[in-house]
Amino acid sequence: CFKSTIAKWVCQAAWRPSIIGMVSSRGYRGDAPDGPQVDLIEIPLPPWVERADEPIDTKRRRLLYESRKRGMLENCILLSIFAKRYLNKMTYSQLQQYDRLINEPSNDWDIYYWATETYPTPEVYQVEVMEMLKEFTKNKNHEQRLDAPSLDYLDEEYQLDRS
Amino acid sequence: ISAVRQKTKLTSLRDCSLELVLNPLFTTTLNELILFYFFMTQLISVAPQISTQYPVVDHEFDAVVVGAGGAGLRAAFGLSEAGFNTACVTKLFPTRSHTVAAQGGINAALGNMEEDDWRWHFYDTVKGSDWLGDQDAIHYMTEQAPAAVVELENFGMPFSRTEDGRIYQRAFGGQSLKYGKGGQAHRCCCVADRTGHSLLHTLYGRSLRYDTSYFVEYFALDLLMEDGECKGVIALCMEDGSIHRFRAQNTVIATGGYGRTFFSCTSAHTSTGDGNAMVTRAGLPCQDLEFVQFHPTGIYGAGCLITEGCRGEGGILINSEGERFMERYAPNAKDLASRDVVSRSMTIEIREGRGVGPDKDHVYLQLHHLPPQQLAMRLPGISETAMIFAGVDVTKEPIPVLPTVHYNMGGIPTNYRGQVIDHVNGEDKVVPGLYACGEAASASVHGANRLGANSLLDLVVFGRACALTIAELHKPGEKLSPLRASAGEESVANLDKLRFTMQNHAAVFRTGPILKEGCDKMHDIYQTLDSIKTFDRGIVWNTDLVESLELQNLMLNAVQTIQGAEQRKESRGAHAREDFKDRVDEYDYSKPLEGQQKKPFEQHWRKHTLSYVDHKTGKVTLKYRPVIDSSLNEQDCAHVPPAIRSY
Repeated sequence: CFKSTIAKWVCQAAWRPSIIGMVSSRGYRGDAPDGPQVDLIEIPLPPWVERADEPIDTKRRRLLYESRKRGMLENCILLSIFAKRYLNKMTYSQLQQYDRLINEPSNDWDIYYWATETYPTPEVYQVEVMEMLKEFTKNKNHEQRLDAPSLDYLDEEYQLDRS
Repeated sequence: ISAVRQKTKLTSLRDCSLELVLNPLFTTTLNELILFYFFMTQLISVAPQISTQYPVVDHEFDAVVVGAGGAGLRAAFGLSEAGFNTACVTKLFPTRSHTVAAQGGINAALGNMEEDDWRWHFYDTVKGSDWLGDQDAIHYMTEQAPAAVVELENFGMPFSRTEDGRIYQRAFGGQSLKYGKGGQAHRCCCVADRTGHSLLHTLYGRSLRYDTSYFVEYFALDLLMEDGECKGVIALCMEDGSIHRFRAQNTVIATGGYGRTFFSCTSAHTSTGDGNAMVTRAGLPCQDLEFVQFHPTGIYGAGCLITEGCRGEGGILINSEGERFMERYAPNAKDLASRDVVSRSMTIEIREGRGVGPDKDHVYLQLHHLPPQQLAMRLPGISETAMIFAGVDVTKEPIPVLPTVHYNMGGIPTNYRGQVIDHVNGEDKVVPGLYACGEAASASVHGANRLGANSLLDLVVFGRACALTIAELHKPGEKLSPLRASAGEESVANLDKLRFTMQNHAAVFRTGPILKEGCDKMHDIYQTLDSIKTFDRGIVWNTDLVESLELQNLMLNAVQTIQGAEQRKESRGAHAREDFKDRVDEYDYSKPLEGQQKKPFEQHWRKHTLSYVDHKTGKVTLKYRPVIDSSLNEQDCAHVPPAIRSY
């Protein structure tokens, strides 16, 4: 039964050639120990697609939401504070890097382990913004990072822009 | 083009293409897209105007699932598999759900490590619930568990294996053999330390083979209720600020817990009890919200877990006087005492004024007396966590810690088939069209306390049960009963109120130690909801607006939690009161029952709390519902009569 499941996946992949190239980045093998008796299969998820023609302001607004709404607490705190500090200063290409970094990996723990340098960052994510995130994560100033920052800063900037 | 899309009325190409991107059918070709667009332009229907501020789009489905964590995905996928046109509405991309944080595993009596029986798992779960769990639901869950795990394996979930290739099972607290008499059971199946992520990935990946329509980054506002029947949900699309009414014969709520009602909790910031609040606003009850599980050592404020292994390795808890206070509370076990004892002792230290920090509201976990090599070797990740969030170097300084909310046992009351129930004139009454599963629901399998690795099991078993029940009672394509044109008006009015009222900022209450403030303060705080200030006037991706909505939801959860806890004058499971230290059952189970008079329902606490809120005033009304003490089949699995819970 299990073998036939694998066969079905293979078949599906065969008549969906468009996803074959993408699977590697989002396929998932888990951490079960290797061994001849272990039947691991790759479960394909649809590839992450960068939003084409998204205006820079919309991208920033989306990334703010996506920085604050994570699957796990640690990333909620880290990325929300990181976003407050850097999102409005990022260039379009940095925003693209950040978008990919926080949205493509399917496991939030991976992002956390790369940022904390528990595990090496895969080459594809080893970009300028990743360096900023790693540096930020080190918390060299020994700040207390207890919560996502209040959003009133959006208002202050709004006020500043106007004045 | 699927029937789902044919029934979905969209107003613009942008919506169409968005749905295509989100819809996981890879077979879409350009031709189909063009056809689809052509088709859709014929179908444009302007929804009755419940708003002039926002475009309103109506959709029709057989079923709509709110939430795409483990439970939501399992329900959505089961429904699609059974041929129902199913929408899954979620504020987060599925793999961003909080299920990802579950690292432990999933319990099932597979018997791979030693002889095991699901009836022993049943016994452990009833006992763990401190006899507040409904035994029919616990029977259902534990009996279904092995099949549920095998099913996940067949879906491709890469469980860790034994040498001979079977699913490896590890020991977990609270799990015994032979009705508590056969020692520790090995019952927990895992995928290394990423079981939660693997479960999400597997279920989401699997669901893509069917025609589930995902509406990702849509924030559900309210249920569409009419004449006591649920007819769907109304949601806000984050991307363009449009309002969507999802009309459906069946609605499944799988929105997770409400951990964020507390200052210190281990949940992601997205666990805001949205489903509980939606049900509350619909005039339906929540059940047993006062039962909240704490983990003794979360980083103060941040909530990040510091593993209990720290104390195993020699870490000690100290108060403001530098005293190792656990020696007083547990002279033998000291810092290795059980979770409950440690949490309680920490709380007493803080209450008696020996807490640390400017507000004297937490204690320290000291590790710097241990050799740095041992820290690095035996407690990997702790130094990083402490530095990143508390700014603390564990080789030199202690970590500020606090008992931290970890799991919500209570939620939306359901029967063991996932149907939401109300309790009317002493009878459980099914709410037509409404289902709930996962941490949002209270079936109730966890009762007064949840056992480790039973929550992932709860997700898949009851997510599946919702789908099965719907498939049994309905057929795909049934005609929807009419919905009044103005349905959802109030939800939209609330959005307007939030976006355009500019008074005082209420955000501070999101971080305040709300529970401690007590019921009266909570009531006052509730009134300040009227003066929430939002800073962001934008339409698209308005995070500020969503967080204000989440705050409203949290408030509804919080007032019920605190009122339920205040009224429950006993200690049971995770609900421990200093002034009422004993469990109060219908009999005193520490003594022989013979000759004892059974206490009437009003005089004991072995009953579920049902709480209702008038969401305009925040006034809470409490009712009580008996616990279900019979299993589904007494011959096959006799119920476990109440007893004193000791381990």
